[in-house]
Amino acid sequence: MNKRDELHRKNLHTVFHPESIAIIGANKVKGTVPGDIFLNILQAGFQGIIYPVSPREKAISGVKAYKYAIDIPDEVDLGVIVFPSSVCRLALEQCGQKGIKSVIIISAGFREVGENGMARENELLEIAEKYGISFIGPNCLGVINTDPAVRLNASFARKFPADGNIAFLSQSGALCTAVLDYAQAKNIGFSKFVSFGNKADVSEIDLLYYLMDDPVTKVILLYLEEITDGLGLMKAAREVIMKSGKPVLVMKSGRTEEGASAAASHTGSLAGKDEICDAAFKQAGIIRCDNIEQMFNIAIAFVYQPMPESNRVAIITNAGGPGVLTTDAAIREGLQLARFNEETTLSLKRSLPTTANINNPVDVIGDARADRYVAAISAVFKDDNVDGVFVILTPQSMTDIDSIAKEIVHVASQFDKPIYTSFMGQADVASGITILEHNNIPHYILPESMCKPFNTVFKIKQFMLDQQHEVQVSGHPPNNAVKKYIDRALAKGKTYLNEYDASHILEAYRLPVAEKILVTSAKDAGKMAAGIGFPVVMKVISDDIIHKFDVGGVVLNISTEAEAEEAFRNISESVGERVPGAIIKGIQVSRQITHGMEVIIGVKKDPSFGPVIMFGFGGIYVEIFRDVSFRVAPVDRQNALKMIRETKSSELLTGVRGARQRDIDAIADSIVKLSALAVDFPQIRELDINPLIVLEKGEGCFVADARIILEDNC
Amino acid sequence: MNKELIKQRIKKVVAEVLKIDESEVSDDANFIFDLGADSMQSMLLIAAFEEEFDIEMDVGKAQEIQTIGGSVDFISEYL
Repeated sequence: MNKRDELHRKNLHTVFHPESIAIIGANKVKGTVPGDIFLNILQAGFQGIIYPVSPREKAISGVKAYKYAIDIPDEVDLGVIVFPSSVCRLALEQCGQKGIKSVIIISAGFREVGENGMARENELLEIAEKYGISFIGPNCLGVINTDPAVRLNASFARKFPADGNIAFLSQSGALCTAVLDYAQAKNIGFSKFVSFGNKADVSEIDLLYYLMDDPVTKVILLYLEEITDGLGLMKAAREVIMKSGKPVLVMKSGRTEEGASAAASHTGSLAGKDEICDAAFKQAGIIRCDNIEQMFNIAIAFVYQPMPESNRVAIITNAGGPGVLTTDAAIREGLQLARFNEETTLSLKRSLPTTANINNPVDVIGDARADRYVAAISAVFKDDNVDGVFVILTPQSMTDIDSIAKEIVHVASQFDKPIYTSFMGQADVASGITILEHNNIPHYILPESMCKPFNTVFKIKQFMLDQQHEVQVSGHPPNNAVKKYIDRALAKGKTYLNEYDASHILEAYRLPVAEKILVTSAKDAGKMAAGIGFPVVMKVISDDIIHKFDVGGVVLNISTEAEAEEAFRNISESVGERVPGAIIKGIQVSRQITHGMEVIIGVKKDPSFGPVIMFGFGGIYVEIFRDVSFRVAPVDRQNALKMIRETKSSELLTGVRGARQRDIDAIADSIVKLSALAVDFPQIRELDINPLIVLEKGEGCFVADARIILEDNC
Repeated sequence: MNKELIKQRIKKVVAEVLKIDESEVSDDANFIFDLGADSMQSMLLIAAFEEEFDIEMDVGKAQEIQTIGGSVDFISEYL
C-alpha cells in the first residue's frame, strides 16, 4: 500500500463520519446544486455542525455563512465543494489551508469535458497531494451515510434512503438517483451510497478497501464505466471477499466489442475487452450483473438470508404451473431439486390434503391458507437434504396473503437456511410483499428469478472455499537471453517476431518447441529433413509474411528427401511470385506431428489488467465457436487446468467415443510457462502458439507454430 | 486609455452588475470565488463590459477571464 492509499483509508473515514462540514460555494437557491446540497445536508438531520461558505450570503436557512472556508473559526472535518469548476482549485486550496483533509467535489467540468477540464483536474490532484487531502469526485452526485449517528446526505439526490447493509458505489451520478428510487419502492436500505464521478483521486479500489472494514456493510454493489486499474480492482475485490466475506457485485457498462478487428493475432482478436473483464471478474470472485434488477435480486439474497450449505432446493407452491416453471429455471441454473427424506414425506402427507403433491415441488393446492404453508415450509426446512426453500404464492379468493407472509417471516426465523419468496401478481399481493420486504425475506416478482440469486450465493461460498491460496509469480528473474533478444529486436524497431524468432524465446521458457532447422538451399532442405525424421513440414520464414499459408509458404506431409528439395523450390517460387519484395530469411524444416490434437494458447496484454492468457481449441472451434477461456496472468497449474475444463470442447481432450485421453497436464504446463513469460516481459503485446499439438496422455505437446508481437512503451 | 482608469471602470461595472459595494471589489478579486457571481451574472458582466467600453469581445475567451486584473488586460486589447 503506498502513502496515498494509506491516506485515503484514513481520510475516507472522515468522509463518512464527519463531525463538521463546510459546504463551499453554497447558496440559497432551491433547485440548484449548491442550494439543494446544503438543504439535503440540513434536512437529512446531520448530527454534526454545518458551515455554509458563500462569497455573498450572510446566512443560509438561518445558518451563519462564511465568505471563505479559512474564515470558519472551528475545525472542519469535511469540505463539500459545489463551486463551478473554474474556481474549484481555489476552494480546494483553502481546504488545504484550513486543514480539511476529506473533500467531496461535486462540480462538473473536468476530465469529462476535454483538455481544459483535464488540466483543471490535474490542478486539483496537485493541491490534494500538497496538503494530504483525499477527495471524491469531481463530477459526482455526492455521498450518503445512513448511519443514524451520522445521517449524512452530502448529495443532490432527491431522497435519503433507509438504513441497511448494502453499500452502493457508482461512477454515474444519474444512475444513483434511479437506484435510490428503485430501492425505496422495494424497501431496500443502504449503509453507504457513493457517487465517485471521475474518480480523479479516490477510486472504487479505495472505497472497496474502506468498506471491507465497515461493520454495517454486508454486500458491495459497484457500477463502473471504465476500469483504470484492473489488477488493483481484482486484488481489492478478492481481499474484500476473502477477508470480510462481503460479496462484490459489479455492473460494468460497455459490453460491446471494439478494436478486436485490428488485432494482429488470434488471441488479440478473440480477447476483447469484455471477455477479459469477464474472466478477470470471475478470477477475483466478482459477481458481474447485467442490470440493476439482477444486481439487487442477488444483493438482497446475500444481505437478508444465510448462505446455503449446498444447492439443493425445495419449492413450495399453491399453483402447479409456476412450480414447474421454477423447477425448470432451477435446473437450468444448475440447482438441484432436493429429494425429501422419509420423515419429511410423512410429515407432508399428514399435514396436506390428499390432492396435494408431497414431492418436490410441493403443491399445497390453490385453496391453501397460512397453516398449510407453515406445515410444508417447516417440514422441508427440517430435512437435511434441503439447503434452501423457494415459496411461491398466487392470490386465490381464499388465500390469506398477509397471514402467509407473516408466517413465512416467523418460520424463517427458526431455521438457519435461506428462504426466498415470490408472491405472484402485483396489486392483491402488495401488502404481503411489503411484510416480507420489511422483515428481510427476499421477494421476487417472478418465481424463476429466485434461482439465479440462490445459485450465485452458493457459488460465492464455493469460491471462498476454493480460493484459500493465492497465485504467486514464479519469483525467478526474467530469462536474460530472452531479455537481450527482445531488447535487440526493439532497438532495431522490430515488433513482429516470426515463428523462428519466437521459437527461441519459447524454448528459453522450456515450452516444447518441435525440432526445427532453417535452411537456405534445396539440397540442405533434403538433408536436414532426413536428419529430423519424416514426415516434416516446411515453412517460409520472413518478417514480411504473417499469413504463410495464403502465399503458398507452407508444405505439409513431406516424406522423402526429394520431396523436401521440391518443397523448397515450390515455396521459394510461390512466395517470390506472390510477395515479390519480401525478405526471406530461409525455409524452416520441422518435424510434423501427425497424430495430435490442435489447441491454441496465447497472450494478449490488456492496458488495464496486464497480460491475459488464452486457451482454446484449434480450427473451427476457435474460428467459428470462439470456444476459448481466459485468465489474467499469473496463472498457476490449478487455474490452467480450470481454463482447459471451462471450454465447451474440453471433453475432446478427455477421450470421447473410444478416443484416448490427451495430455492435459502438458497443456497446463505450457500455459503456466507461457504465463511466466508474459509476466516477465511486459513488452509482449500479443503472442500466439497456434497450434499447440497435443499428443496422447503422457506423450506431451509441441509448439507447431508461434508468433510474437512486441511493443516498445514499457 | 491607461490601465488604472480601465480598472476603475471595470470595478464600477462589477459592483453594479453583482449589486455589491464597489469597496468590496479588490484588485485581485475573482468574480465567482470572491464576489459570488453565478453563471448568469458572469454573462451579464461580459455584456456590461462591452457596453461600458463600447467594444465587442470574443465571448468564449471572455468567459475564461475571472478576475479584475485579467479583465483589465483582456479589455485593454480591444481599446
